[in-house]
Amino acid sequence: MIVHVNHLDKGLAGPAAEALGALLDLIEAGRVDPRLLPALRVHLDWIQYRANFREPVSVRRAVDARGEPLTLAEIAVDLRQAPPERVGEAFSRAFAALGPDAPPDDERFPLEPFRPVREGLIWQFNRLFWQRLDQWEAAAGRGFEQALPSGRSDANHPEAVADSVADFWTLLRDADKRGQLPADLFALEIGVGSGTRAALWLDRFKALDEERGTGYYPRLRFLLGDYAQPTLDRALAAVAAHREQVSVLAMDALNPFRTLSFLRYKVLFVHLTNVYDNLAHDELVRRDGRLYLVEARAHLRRDEAERIAQDAGLTVGGLERAVGLLLEVGPDALGDRARGTAFWRSVWAAVRLEERLVALDDLVDAPLPAGLDQSHLEDLLAEAPADVRFHLSRGAAESFVNTLPLLHPRGYLQVQDIFVTTMDEYRQGFRGPGKLDGSVVTWVNGALLRAVGARTGYDVHFAPFRYRPGSRTSILYTTQRD
Amino acid sequence: MRTPLLPTAVVGSYSIPSWLERVKNDYLLRRVSRRDLEEIHDMAVKAAIKDQEVAGVDIVSDGELRRDNMIDYFAERLPGVQIDHASKRFYYDFYDSVVRGRMPTGSLGLVEELRFLRRFTERRVKISVTGPHSLVKRIRNEHYGSEEAFALDIARVMNLELRELVKAGATDIQIDEPYYSGFPEDLPWGVAAVNALVEGVAAWVSLHVCYGNRYGKPAWEGSYRYLFPAILAARVQQLTLEFGRRGEDDVRLFQEFDPPFHLGLGVVDVKSHDVESPPVVAERIRTALAIVPAERLSVNPDCGCLHLPRDVAFAKLAAMVEGTRLVRRELGA
Repeated sequence: MIVHVNHLDKGLAGPAAEALGALLDLIEAGRVDPRLLPALRVHLDWIQYRANFREPVSVRRAVDARGEPLTLAEIAVDLRQAPPERVGEAFSRAFAALGPDAPPDDERFPLEPFRPVREGLIWQFNRLFWQRLDQWEAAAGRGFEQALPSGRSDANHPEAVADSVADFWTLLRDADKRGQLPADLFALEIGVGSGTRAALWLDRFKALDEERGTGYYPRLRFLLGDYAQPTLDRALAAVAAHREQVSVLAMDALNPFRTLSFLRYKVLFVHLTNVYDNLAHDELVRRDGRLYLVEARAHLRRDEAERIAQDAGLTVGGLERAVGLLLEVGPDALGDRARGTAFWRSVWAAVRLEERLVALDDLVDAPLPAGLDQSHLEDLLAEAPADVRFHLSRGAAESFVNTLPLLHPRGYLQVQDIFVTTMDEYRQGFRGPGKLDGSVVTWVNGALLRAVGARTGYDVHFAPFRYRPGSRTSILYTTQRD
Repeated sequence: MRTPLLPTAVVGSYSIPSWLERVKNDYLLRRVSRRDLEEIHDMAVKAAIKDQEVAGVDIVSDGELRRDNMIDYFAERLPGVQIDHASKRFYYDFYDSVVRGRMPTGSLGLVEELRFLRRFTERRVKISVTGPHSLVKRIRNEHYGSEEAFALDIARVMNLELRELVKAGATDIQIDEPYYSGFPEDLPWGVAAVNALVEGVAAWVSLHVCYGNRYGKPAWEGSYRYLFPAILAARVQQLTLEFGRRGEDDVRLFQEFDPPFHLGLGVVDVKSHDVESPPVVAERIRTALAIVPAERLSVNPDCGCLHLPRDVAFAKLAAMVEGTRLVRRELGA
């Protein structure tokens, strides 16, 4: 048995010691099948997200491509959630679930079969949230930015916006001095939120341009791209004072180039805030030199399933169909909107993920997103610790790869998000997915983006978001590879 | 073989397969021996020549598959240039290279490349070299008093190599100077360096100027207008330019300045994986023919194909050849 202590911050010692003591007590008492121990990993985590999809103690079995069990098994403990006085009991149940004679699990009500994380139900919930944002916010009684853990979005920090404008203006002035300033100055914001940041940015840019008398503002073509029309409508209203400069475009954040191919090598500045952390990902695990893909299935605990069904006037057996209808059609499909939205919010609050590890025979079996090849993964694994669980940030990488061709040779991409900047950081904690009020959040594998950038002619850098103390946001920015 | 009207040519490099990329990287990491790498290069070059022939290209190259990139291949061979071999991880990155004294003369090994190429094709062949201006922009200068002086000395050393190439049978030599586009203010001395480079070189010399192709993307943007009138002083026979990606507007500069050069017309975009159709290529040629007579026009990709997948590179060359044939037929050639 190998015990992984994946977190180093304050507050760990007590709960970790309790958990470890309970575990060793069970072994000493002979209550653990000794055949399990040689290939068992126990992970003690402190989950950063207060709301997430995990049980306090969960079990992960390894299986081969046909679903047959392999010897590797893992027990993961969320020290933040697991009550110390009950952790021993939870371990007992976990060991029982791992044994060859484990009874069928009737404590969980599955909503889907095991599938790669990227294809899971939680991402359908996420999509529904952005498509029906108004309905969710009306039911929640607050805007989605107020529901963020910090109570506001780092995107709108005035000082950060002012610095961003200053950087852009400097780029324009340098190009201008060399006689290389294009006639149209294209800037692009992908994932526009409430439009507040775009409005702040445009106000500031206009003021700076007027103050310096450079005449760039009238040449600015500011594009707002988002896949949700209600969001675009809201953003357009926010930038009403700059209508001459602004265009809105319905676009898939995964492939901005598809929408904007006519702007290849023409966009001087692309900005995204908290978009990558909301795009589907996969997770890979390397144990003893072997690579595994994490598969997950969403479920409700039996008692919660019964409560939700009762509140919605359904039978438990009808829950899966009702969730399917909700995700396909929206809350209106469940009778009336208020009832449907309440059902949606209840299911979201209760949904959890069970995981298993599916062995990959070769790197070529890893589910790489479009634009990435095996060599990117090789580069990444070469710098990774031997034992590691990490994000294959598919959506982020795909978006990144499909944004770079838009950049003017002197242009740059700036992304404010939560990044894991080196593979080593994955040893120090579970990085998601976490559960926000209605949507998914997950850390983004910045090391992957760096490896991808290196092979496409861009150096990728990360700087801490210094404008709000305690912020976990970083700023990714690209420079042309010298 | 007789060269037809509107000859088709490559600009130099051919697609570098991903497996060759890996081998080159493994060589840098000391996992592959020099001897094995050279043998792999020989095999890859033969395949690249064959691909160009099958695509129907009239003037072929060795695909430049032996070259890490357009700078390092020469930086490593120029006598007196010191290389920090630990300074790059990927073969397409640039070494940290420096010159700390006057460069002695010495062979760059291009004659061997030419001989190998000619052994495996009956077609007209082209050898490309990176021009002094571009090399000066990447090799750190700790000796010469100015970039111009450094460039002229590079030209002196490389001129001997070009003369040796001609003695060995080279008929077509191309000089690559993409960095002109990033530093247009250097053009007067950049052209002087090219003239020093080709002094006494009895071959068809084309000067290739593009907007960069590192990692398959442009390094600069703008108009070729910056080339004029300074470029008119270049003692070369042909200018080989990029139009496939950028459109043919700048061909008008040939009307405005009536330069004494033939035009190598870039008709396929090497920075896009979308394959042009032969009619699109033909239309681009027709547009140029409205300004430049057919006798002074040759047809080529915008730049080297090294960043394109092999199937895309081949399809683009085949489309270029077929599009050219369409126009030849219209001209009765």
